[in-house]
Amino acid sequence: MNAVLENLRSRRMPNIATQGAIRIDDVVKIYDPDGAAVMAVDHCSLDIPAGEICMIVGPSGCGKTTLLNAIAGFHSITSGSISMDGQLLCGPGKPKAEPGSDRIVVFQNGALFPWKTNLENVAFGPLMQGKLGKKEIYEKARSMMADAGLSGTEDNFPGEVSSGLRRRVEIVRALMNDPKVLLFDEPYRALDSLTKSVMHEALLEIYYKNKVTIFFITHDLEEAIFLGHRLVIMTSRPCKPKKILEVDIPHPRDYSVLTSPRFRELMEETSAVVHEEAKKSFAAGEKEG
Amino acid sequence: MDQISALLKRAMPFQTVPEDLLREIVKIAKWRSYSRGDLIYNVDDEAEDIHIVSSGSVSHALRPEAGSPELLERVMRPGDVFGWAAVFEGQRRRLAKTISLERSEVLQINGEQLMRLIRRMPAAGDVIMSRLATMITKEFAATPAVAARVPHLQVATEPAPQQGSGVASGWALTTFRIAQWLKSPSPYLMVIGFGVFLGLWYLTVEVWQLPRFADMPGLTVVVKEMFSEQPTYGLSVYTPEYYQHIWASIRRVAIAFLLATGLGVPLGLFMGWSKTFREYVFPVFETLRPIPILAWVPLAILMFSGSETPVIFLTFLASFFATALNTMLGVESIDESYSRAAYCLGASKWQVFREVIVPGAMPYIFTGLQISIGVAWFSLVAGEMVSGEFGLGYVINTSYTMVRYPTIVIGMVTLGAVGYVTSALVRMVGDQMMQWRVRELALGGR
Repeated sequence: MNAVLENLRSRRMPNIATQGAIRIDDVVKIYDPDGAAVMAVDHCSLDIPAGEICMIVGPSGCGKTTLLNAIAGFHSITSGSISMDGQLLCGPGKPKAEPGSDRIVVFQNGALFPWKTNLENVAFGPLMQGKLGKKEIYEKARSMMADAGLSGTEDNFPGEVSSGLRRRVEIVRALMNDPKVLLFDEPYRALDSLTKSVMHEALLEIYYKNKVTIFFITHDLEEAIFLGHRLVIMTSRPCKPKKILEVDIPHPRDYSVLTSPRFRELMEETSAVVHEEAKKSFAAGEKEG
Repeated sequence: MDQISALLKRAMPFQTVPEDLLREIVKIAKWRSYSRGDLIYNVDDEAEDIHIVSSGSVSHALRPEAGSPELLERVMRPGDVFGWAAVFEGQRRRLAKTISLERSEVLQINGEQLMRLIRRMPAAGDVIMSRLATMITKEFAATPAVAARVPHLQVATEPAPQQGSGVASGWALTTFRIAQWLKSPSPYLMVIGFGVFLGLWYLTVEVWQLPRFADMPGLTVVVKEMFSEQPTYGLSVYTPEYYQHIWASIRRVAIAFLLATGLGVPLGLFMGWSKTFREYVFPVFETLRPIPILAWVPLAILMFSGSETPVIFLTFLASFFATALNTMLGVESIDESYSRAAYCLGASKWQVFREVIVPGAMPYIFTGLQISIGVAWFSLVAGEMVSGEFGLGYVINTSYTMVRYPTIVIGMVTLGAVGYVTSALVRMVGDQMMQWRVRELALGGR
């Protein structure tokens, strides 16, 4: 295990996160609507070392969001355990984790508060936690927004800026809290492919500057290979890892990677597996989500 | 010549330009035509001319800030103004790439020359510049930093319209909107609508004297009575009683509405927020809600002494149910990811209530308040007809028993007008409290 970790660490550029390792151990989640038990997650185990970008790929409705919700603390798990840096988040005797600012979710449809300006959104976390003085918080928020190329949009409401900018504001809002883990729930799903590619590079840039572990759910294989250190391809419901793949394209990456031969090879290697699961999921008629 | 000034008058920044300045601008403007696919200019080109589309269409891809890889695309149509970087302070470089989408005629005005003209007439010029800045932020969705580069001429007599957040103060935009409204068919349709309604009233009652309408008070009779200094039946806009009645009604509605809001909003918030609380309260609430206000009249009279409190109670009741129900629906309408996000960011339960639930339910709350003020008037009249010594409902009821028919209609018209004003006031307060929503809707819910 340690050798694998060392190997991963040595590839990680340019900072090495020391916190935010997630261990998912034999997690089962059974939903029980109207007595008809539905297994969403089936004995799933996964180790994510600190600082890794781990891409969870699977067909819509396979239960990957359930896993993310369990880590974030929105849902309970039926059995198994999830821990972060050796600390139990949820497990026997504690079915539901506490949501906290060490693990922040970036939501599928975006969850910037539309009634707060972008700056107020970014400052929200520290303000609620009462960690710093108001003035310092707003100063920090301004400078972080400036770093992310968001100067000039501070006093706009989220509804007034483009969806790409909104996503960036949301990520900055998360980073304000120095999270150990960022949990992405298909955040770029609704974006067009051009905006998406811009967002990917922006995300990597942010990742290179901050020490975080990234747990990223997607069904877009290209996105997964471009961003991730590792791909975890999930089976259709119930969800568990079917194939784990190391992406041996060195970081930092930029968009030229997409046309490299190695990228094509990896696409070929994985698309058959993903397609097969998608077909199963389609046949089962799973609802999206 | 005429064609140029006509086009300028269509273009938002130049709409209010006085004739003398307009003539000068016409002199420096020149026509240019582009074929389909022609590049008009590209990002970082030298910006010399400001462009106004006369015919055809032009694609405009704006880079909102230096180094930003994102482009905001718009199609410019006749009357639209682009290429405003030509009047910027400091470096005049293009911020957008523009391509003609079809055969297009474009009017070009040299930025340097335009600025020279404008400096000669700073008062009129500053209006152009501030309207330009407004247009850039509102229509191009550019960052305020971009709009701030539009030169601002120091005119001592005028307060700077570009202060504060840099999002244009909106005065230019308001006058622009009013001008647009007057140009659109809607005000004229409104006048026609009223005209047809009043005309039918006049014709059916006074001219044709149709069977069912013959006994009704006619339009001219009502208008004469209402504006007579010595009204036949004792009530017109010149008699102090008229205002006493209005005041009595407004006072009752105001007290009832404020009470209903003060109690209904918190009740609705808690019903929406706490499942347990809701299970206690909602069934009782839903049983009481459908009972018509008139059915409450006897109990109201038994419960409260005097003539004032029962009426206020009845008015309150209807408003209260509308407000509480809408508030509850508002809380339910909030996307769960907002509260989840707040918990993620370390908010406590109480903070989520204050920062997410309350503002998130606000649009529904204000819809509820508009319904509530409407039903307040509705039940007020019901209450005043039954008990009460003053008020518009009282006027209508006693005029009926005392055969003063025109006065009935005076009471009704007054109710309509006062009711309209109060709901407009509620709407204005709502817009004031929800700037985020106003601005979002102004952009077409993008």
